Amino acid sequence: MRATTWLTVCLLFVPSTAWAGPQKVDYVKDIKPILAEKCFSCHGALKQRSRLRMDAAQLLFKGGRDGPPIVPGKADESLLVKRVLGIDGQSLMPPEGEGEKMSHQQVALLKAWINQGANAPVEPVPPDPREHWAYKVPQRPAIPQLQNTSWVRNPIDAFLAAKHEEQGLAPAAPASKEVLLRRVYFDLIGLPPTRDELHAFLEDKSDDAYEKVVDRLLASQRYGERWGRHWMDVWRYSDWSGYRNEIRNSQPHIWRWRDWIIESLNGDKGYDRMIIEMLAGDEIAPEDPSTLRATGYLVRNWYKFNRNYWLDNTVEHTMKAFLAVTINCTRCHEHKYDPISQRAYYELRAIFEPHQVRTDRVPGQLDTSKDGLPRAYDADAKAPTYLYIRGNEKHPDKSRLMTPGVPSVLGGELQIEPVDLPLTAYYPHLKDHVVHDLLEAADREIRQANQELAKAKATRDQAAQKAKADPKASPDLELAEEAWSLAEKKVAIAKAKRSALSARIEADRAKYANQPSFKELALSAGAAERQASLLQAEYGLLQAEGALRKAQRSAKANDKKSQDALAAAKKNLDAARKKWKAAQDAMKSPSPQYTPLGKEYPRTSTGRRLAFARWLTNRNNPLTARVAVNHIWLRHFGAPIVENVFDFGLRSPKPRHAQLLDWLAVEFMENGWSMKHLHRLMVTSNAYRMSSNSRAAPAANLVKDPDNHYFWRMNSRRLEAELVRDSLLYVAGNLDLTMGGPDIDHNLGESSRRRSVYFRHAYEKKMKFLELFDVASENECYRRSESIVPQQALALANSTLSLEQSRLLARKLHPSAVKSPEFVIQAFEQILARKPSAEELKICTEFLARQRKLLSDKSKLTPSPNPQASKIAPASDPILRARENLVHVLMNHNDFVTIR
Amino acid sequence: MHPALLRSRRAFLADVGMGFTGLALGAMLYREGIAKAAPSPWQPPTGQPHFTPKAKSVIWFFMIGGASHLETFDPKPAVSKYAGKSINETPFKEVLTSPYLENERIVAPDANGQIRTRLYPLQVGFKKRGQSGIEVSDWLPNIGDCIDDIAVIRSMWTEDSNHGAQLQFHTGRHRLDGYFPTIGAWVHYGLGSLNDNLPQFIVLGRPLADCCGGMEAHRANYLGPKHDGVPLTVDPKNPLPFALPERNVYLEEQQAEFGLLNRLNRLSSVEYPADEKMLARIKSYELAFRMQTAVPEVFDFRNEDKKTLDMYGKGTFAKICLSARRLVERGVRFVQIYHGSNGGAGGWDAHSGLKNNHTKNCAEIDRPIAALLKDLKQRGLLDETIVVWATEFGRTPGSQGATGRDHHPYGFSVWMAGGGIKGGIVHGATDELGFHAVEHRHYVTDIHATILHQLGLDPHRLAVPGRKRLEMEIGKPIKEIIA
Repeated sequence: MRATTWLTVCLLFVPSTAWAGPQKVDYVKDIKPILAEKCFSCHGALKQRSRLRMDAAQLLFKGGRDGPPIVPGKADESLLVKRVLGIDGQSLMPPEGEGEKMSHQQVALLKAWINQGANAPVEPVPPDPREHWAYKVPQRPAIPQLQNTSWVRNPIDAFLAAKHEEQGLAPAAPASKEVLLRRVYFDLIGLPPTRDELHAFLEDKSDDAYEKVVDRLLASQRYGERWGRHWMDVWRYSDWSGYRNEIRNSQPHIWRWRDWIIESLNGDKGYDRMIIEMLAGDEIAPEDPSTLRATGYLVRNWYKFNRNYWLDNTVEHTMKAFLAVTINCTRCHEHKYDPISQRAYYELRAIFEPHQVRTDRVPGQLDTSKDGLPRAYDADAKAPTYLYIRGNEKHPDKSRLMTPGVPSVLGGELQIEPVDLPLTAYYPHLKDHVVHDLLEAADREIRQANQELAKAKATRDQAAQKAKADPKASPDLELAEEAWSLAEKKVAIAKAKRSALSARIEADRAKYANQPSFKELALSAGAAERQASLLQAEYGLLQAEGALRKAQRSAKANDKKSQDALAAAKKNLDAARKKWKAAQDAMKSPSPQYTPLGKEYPRTSTGRRLAFARWLTNRNNPLTARVAVNHIWLRHFGAPIVENVFDFGLRSPKPRHAQLLDWLAVEFMENGWSMKHLHRLMVTSNAYRMSSNSRAAPAANLVKDPDNHYFWRMNSRRLEAELVRDSLLYVAGNLDLTMGGPDIDHNLGESSRRRSVYFRHAYEKKMKFLELFDVASENECYRRSESIVPQQALALANSTLSLEQSRLLARKLHPSAVKSPEFVIQAFEQILARKPSAEELKICTEFLARQRKLLSDKSKLTPSPNPQASKIAPASDPILRARENLVHVLMNHNDFVTIR
Repeated sequence: MHPALLRSRRAFLADVGMGFTGLALGAMLYREGIAKAAPSPWQPPTGQPHFTPKAKSVIWFFMIGGASHLETFDPKPAVSKYAGKSINETPFKEVLTSPYLENERIVAPDANGQIRTRLYPLQVGFKKRGQSGIEVSDWLPNIGDCIDDIAVIRSMWTEDSNHGAQLQFHTGRHRLDGYFPTIGAWVHYGLGSLNDNLPQFIVLGRPLADCCGGMEAHRANYLGPKHDGVPLTVDPKNPLPFALPERNVYLEEQQAEFGLLNRLNRLSSVEYPADEKMLARIKSYELAFRMQTAVPEVFDFRNEDKKTLDMYGKGTFAKICLSARRLVERGVRFVQIYHGSNGGAGGWDAHSGLKNNHTKNCAEIDRPIAALLKDLKQRGLLDETIVVWATEFGRTPGSQGATGRDHHPYGFSVWMAGGGIKGGIVHGATDELGFHAVEHRHYVTDIHATILHQLGLDPHRLAVPGRKRLEMEIGKPIKEIIA
């Protein structure tokens, strides 16, 4: 009966061509996509439920445990058709909860194809996705044996040279010393060499002149700032954003995480340790504020309006940043390419489900809106995670509670152990510095009250003097007396609050130390608090009485306004009396009720995040080290080894330099995940020292490998936004190298001279100048883009920043360069870290002469219509002004913004 | 063979020296950010349309805050007839249980964005206008004059009942989904330049506030910042960031600097013949130098005749509309114009005092927009320019407080004109209360799809590998309004 009804529906809705009509149904075009969507996830390479595999036509015809599912020519007899319809006692496929049933049109197509004979080609059997290269634990490959080892300085070179030999490519000649020096300076510290440093390097003829520079740069504090910004891109650093003062995303004071990143890199903290601290710093070092800063990584995802959005971002980007796994699509359905189920997404979410964000107090500041330590902690171990059906948060599948887990294809599992937290972690209000600051604030209040009292007394004494001389002034005296007694009361209140605070601290301490004295201390804390409340009520009463007297004095019988005021004053007094009475009554019955210093947080943390971080940094995790190595390689060589830096899944075929990647990944892990070790290996390789100029290699290279896939030359790159700005300031000797601290207003980018990494960076809060040069999107930036647009030219040509710095630098070089060529050479060395060529020297010298002439008669010149002017005006001397112009031109030179 | 090898040094120099007149900007500027992120068979757009285009440029008006469809282009007498009654007491109570209500995706519970059931009468009269006799609000008499050139679409819907819908109208995605390329960015990405002196995607009027999408409503997101809209200020003295050097700099001085820079860069490019980025940078400086004069020139109206100036009227919005014509006249592809930015939800957000609010807002836009339509038409530009008038959602048939209407994502109106769009037609309809779009329902991206279609672009062919777009994000062209 049901089947009949359905057939009727089918006849009504299916276009006639879909029946065995004239149109031929094509397996590859029409049928396979339907089967892929509905069936492959359980009957494919990864899983073969009922021993049935359907992802190649011949396997489909062969069938599984229940025999061949298709009877060619006879759709109605085919098991597959019965199953997708759920008729003839066959259970419906896909089963409930595993996908939507086939639409009428899809079934009609399927039946038509079978009725037409079920023709299909023999297809290659798709490989098991678990065999994908990136899911295999990296093993250290043997270093290739080469015919010619002259080029090989370290194993990186050996791996590349083997490929060069295989491809018939010859490596480019080494870059000049100038080019190499500037390259390695920018790469390691994000700043160019100074003239002195350039000269020193050029003059150092020792064999290890370059290695010495590398060691010095890696030891420089600037290194952490340079690489900190790289990792801030990958880890989605964002200062808080919001609408006016409303915080909507991330948190204030998250700059502490930025400082942690910079410090950790400078200290060469292992990458594994960094991951653990970022994901679970609160579980591994719950009492160490320095480590807690790292959890800014999680705090950054805080989102005011929607917890799902917040956790989705946490899951998606944690998987992308550390593992290059694109998991976000599995929020709604099974992964279309990778062997990752929808369930895996929610198991990952369960790792983060209990965590929340809070801001702890920092020494010297009780008000966390002014300063504090934003951090993650587990707030609710029992918070349930449910799979959202088709990703729709309105439809959670409450029949199944999701437990923490990791995608099985990556191997390993979570070893979750709850972490018992120390007192100051779950009750931070008893930290020494908090207690100290609370008491000091109470003392300060007493001091202030005493000062007020002294003032009130002086006023009253003056009023008394006056009243003696002039009885008409007695109302003033009365008011002054009133103010005096109020001030006295204020002092009493402040003192009582101070005592209450001490008592509360004592009581809290006893409580959390499980001391028997707690009961007694709670009683005294309660009493002290009620004493303070009573005084406060007395103060209120005094105030209300005073107000009533004032209202009585100014009341006029037929003035409604003043009568209303009088009535209101009476009412207030009544209320104040009631309050006072209540406070007095409260004094009579002793009670251990007192206000604790603050909220208690859970005493244990679930340990889920720590377990996850340990899984991530396990030697057998196939992805973590490879992904990090790829990011670092990209930033030294201008191109990654794995093209898509955030997706190592099945859409990323095995890279050309897979062995090199694996060798580096193992080398990385076996050297304590030291990034500096990797940097040193990379930048001291011969590969790194090559020229980026294709002319430095045989012309045949360009034909064989025009895109430099085999690294036969260095890639040139444009400076990142921050480096453009920092360098403008630095070459002029004006970069302020102060480190760390609160984010600087992004609007001050042209006036503040701090390094760019310290400026506010958030949604709608980014420096304009940096934005034009493709600064990272705070939302997602696994790789910077390098655009070349006219707005960049305008920024470099017209910004106050570049105009001012060019003037300042020209004036600095001016006195020591008597002749024009001297000046040109100095300017080239200072700005571009190289000497000018003969031709450059000639045209620049000519320019200086011409420009000087042009500027000597200003009456013929047209000022720019822009009404603004910078603080540092151009020089009045045309010789110097011409020199300023030259410096300005060199700051706009392509070589200035290019790492060769 | 690699192109660099085919070029002799001399030819290369000549190429660099000749500048790039006649070359398409889109093809000229370097596209590394995108190209590198994709597998090699994929190529970025060539700047050529995929099929014969009907239009060249777009002027996109966006009314921020939510203009009432009921008081602009979709009159509903029943709303006045049953004024003061609850919808439940009218014959149309089924609108309150419609499955269409499920389309809403709430960001956070809010006092606004509620369903209001007490019907609030129309606050303005309507008249049949033009040959077509389409009814237009009395608050928009001048736009009413142009109705025979306009296709009114009365059956729009969106998902967000709060002002994130502003962003959604530009990206096609709900705010919670994140940020995506906007329609202007897609146009910029897909089409080459018609003028090498000006940016091709220009934003006029104060942009959206941070609350509601901010700059993301004219950004290119993963298409790369070179496809971002460039906000310009209608001020010849200061039209864009860093547009001009400070007053202490002489133009001749700067010109000489650009001259030297060009020579120095060309010398370097001889050293690095395969460095296409170098070439792109040289050209970007050439364009920048020309933009310095070309951009202020657009906003310098001294050559406009008095009749034209009078037609647009006075005030900032009139200047913006006139500038829009001058921009498309000079070949700019996409001009995005915001009206009603107030640093918050937007000037059209009439939760109370709708009558005053819309009277004022309509008066601001009516004459300038009508003047623009007439001006484009008299210059023969309307045929090749698509003009869009849109807003993030309509307003509730029910009242909010005593004098306002709330946000209404379930059914609202926009219009399109020019660029091969039929004039004098109404397409789609809401129900008798103007509550749900019921006939020819269109999600916001159908407007995007219609624009791309008229420009000769196939959005599927523009798609970037690794960036899957939802069908909903792409939309479908509204064939019925295409001439």
